[in-house]
Amino acid sequence: MKRKLMGMALLIAMIAFAGVSAFAAPKTYRIGVMAPITGTNAEYGKGFQIAMKMAADEINAKGDIKLELIFKDSKGDPKESADIARQYADDPSIMAILGDFTSSCCMAAAPIVDEAGLVLLSPTASNPNYAGMSKYAFSIMGRQDGEAPFFATYLLKKYAGAKNVGLIWVNSDWGKSAHDNFVAQAKKEGLNIVADVNYLADEKDFSSAIAKLRREKPDHIVIMDQGLVPTIINQIAQAGWTDVRITTLGPGTSEQILNLSKKNAEGLLLTTPFFIDDNNRTAKAWADRFAQIAGFFPTVHPACAYDTVYLIAAAIRNSGDKVTRESIRENLQNLKGFVGLTGPIQFNPAGDIFRKYLIVAVENGKFVRKTDYDYAK
Amino acid sequence: MDYYLSQAINGICQGSIYALMAIGYSVVVGVVGLVTFTHGEVIMLGAFASFYTFQLVGNNLIIGVIASFLASAFIGVFVFKICYERFFNAPRHISLICTIGTSMLLRNLAQIIFGPNNKPLLEVVPNRFFGQGVVGLTLVQIIVIATVISLSFLLFLFFNRTRWGIMLRAVSQDKTAAAMMGINVRLTSLLGNSIGCGLGGVAGMLLAIYYQTLVATMGGSAGMKAFSSAVLGGLTNIPSAAAGGLCLGIVENLGITISSASFRDIFAFIFLLLVLIVKPEGFAKKTGVRP
Repeated sequence: MKRKLMGMALLIAMIAFAGVSAFAAPKTYRIGVMAPITGTNAEYGKGFQIAMKMAADEINAKGDIKLELIFKDSKGDPKESADIARQYADDPSIMAILGDFTSSCCMAAAPIVDEAGLVLLSPTASNPNYAGMSKYAFSIMGRQDGEAPFFATYLLKKYAGAKNVGLIWVNSDWGKSAHDNFVAQAKKEGLNIVADVNYLADEKDFSSAIAKLRREKPDHIVIMDQGLVPTIINQIAQAGWTDVRITTLGPGTSEQILNLSKKNAEGLLLTTPFFIDDNNRTAKAWADRFAQIAGFFPTVHPACAYDTVYLIAAAIRNSGDKVTRESIRENLQNLKGFVGLTGPIQFNPAGDIFRKYLIVAVENGKFVRKTDYDYAK
Repeated sequence: MDYYLSQAINGICQGSIYALMAIGYSVVVGVVGLVTFTHGEVIMLGAFASFYTFQLVGNNLIIGVIASFLASAFIGVFVFKICYERFFNAPRHISLICTIGTSMLLRNLAQIIFGPNNKPLLEVVPNRFFGQGVVGLTLVQIIVIATVISLSFLLFLFFNRTRWGIMLRAVSQDKTAAAMMGINVRLTSLLGNSIGCGLGGVAGMLLAIYYQTLVATMGGSAGMKAFSSAVLGGLTNIPSAAAGGLCLGIVENLGITISSASFRDIFAFIFLLLVLIVKPEGFAKKTGVRP
């Protein structure tokens, strides 16, 4: 009987304590998100939305701080991104912005956040000029002056043994920087660029660009784009051009390529800073949870988006009692020892990071990892 | 030389899709008497109709053509009821703005219903290449060109050999006079609008087959090209509109050949401007005076 009473008392005490801790409710911070939820890059925008929500839910469940994410659709259009950035900047309850997907969109928003003193943390912008535009602009994708040279030296020259290369690239802020960094490295490596064509972001018909590439008889083609990569692969197959190896810089391990190009994508080579397979348990578990909600498997991009939410949370926690837009910037810039899903993240003075890359090939309708992180040695 | 020839072939193929869109467009503009901005969305819905039809019954091109034609013709009825029917005697800009609104409505509804992602439409036509080296035609190009030519021929027969066709032409030329001759202008316009939209729908299917993907936002640029081609052809003249589309396709592709694919639209619209400066009525021969 006594024991039972003691138990009851303990239970009551526990409930009372729980009540007390519920009183000191965690503070809620509103974070603005912009992503291309519709349009050509919708796969990535949707991925952002799901991954960020997963991260926010996990952080909120822990309970020391609460994050409220507000999503706005930038449609992959820099004009829309600039508008959304302005809306967020004018709303004093917004503590930081996460997004956007493309470098062009981020670069359109960067001057606005610079003026407003509001952090813009992009999961995926990789134009080397972007993060330097403002001390409030951050990115964790790694930079094109890291990935494009890796692509030229290690994927094309060392792995694939390419000699004559044809380039087809999207004429955007990202595409231009990927292209220029690639060409500079390819020249150093003695790769012969036989054809070089570009197109605007909403192009549909690549038949004449492909004919142009084909005339110069390259042994490898590099497609530099994200959303349009499957379309270009399909049109190359449609033109009956088979004696060429297709490689792509930009889309990561996008499921859209497998779904939209099916067997046309067989043999495709690409680089990614992050690869999910059975060897990488945490990532695999995360990817499975993501796929359950999304209905498709994540690329590196949603994984980066997931990490950005944790980064902002870490910056808020490190700000102590007084969290301001400025304190988030400071604590983000000076964050040390952060290890996210996509690896360790520590910003360089410009506000971005360099990453290491893996080579991945499409085999039997699946992405297969071909090299390790130490391939570039 | 071979290379330029192959680029011209690419241009002809793309141009024939433009031509079909432009034919539909000029039928609509001809019988309704008003410029429309929903044509791009009609094209997109035709593409989606064929996509779902192919999923249901397998890759049967003829059923695909019929399904996309019917679906888009039905949308044509919807557009007519909303944008034109009540505004025949109202100022022109009212129904013009109404078509812009309807286009936004249809595009956003399509994004909600079909989803924002690109959808694959693979292997409707097997990848086969006829020719030597770079020069030659792919099977899908042959099918696209053949479909456009046969539909244009059917339309020609319809317009010149049937009673309905003659009524349509009469309405297109002068609504008041046609009404005095006992033609039901409203019904005839409805029919003409639906036929124009149906042709747009088939063009949408061809676009989807040719590019092997379709997406809810594909209508925007397609509608713009249809409009430009029709303007080249003098807006209401059907054979000239077809010629306009063909020229636009060839000019674009040859332009890309000598410069960069980023300049596609620059070539298209400079060509359009030049033609309009030299020949303001477009390719159409101007006969008589229009009211």
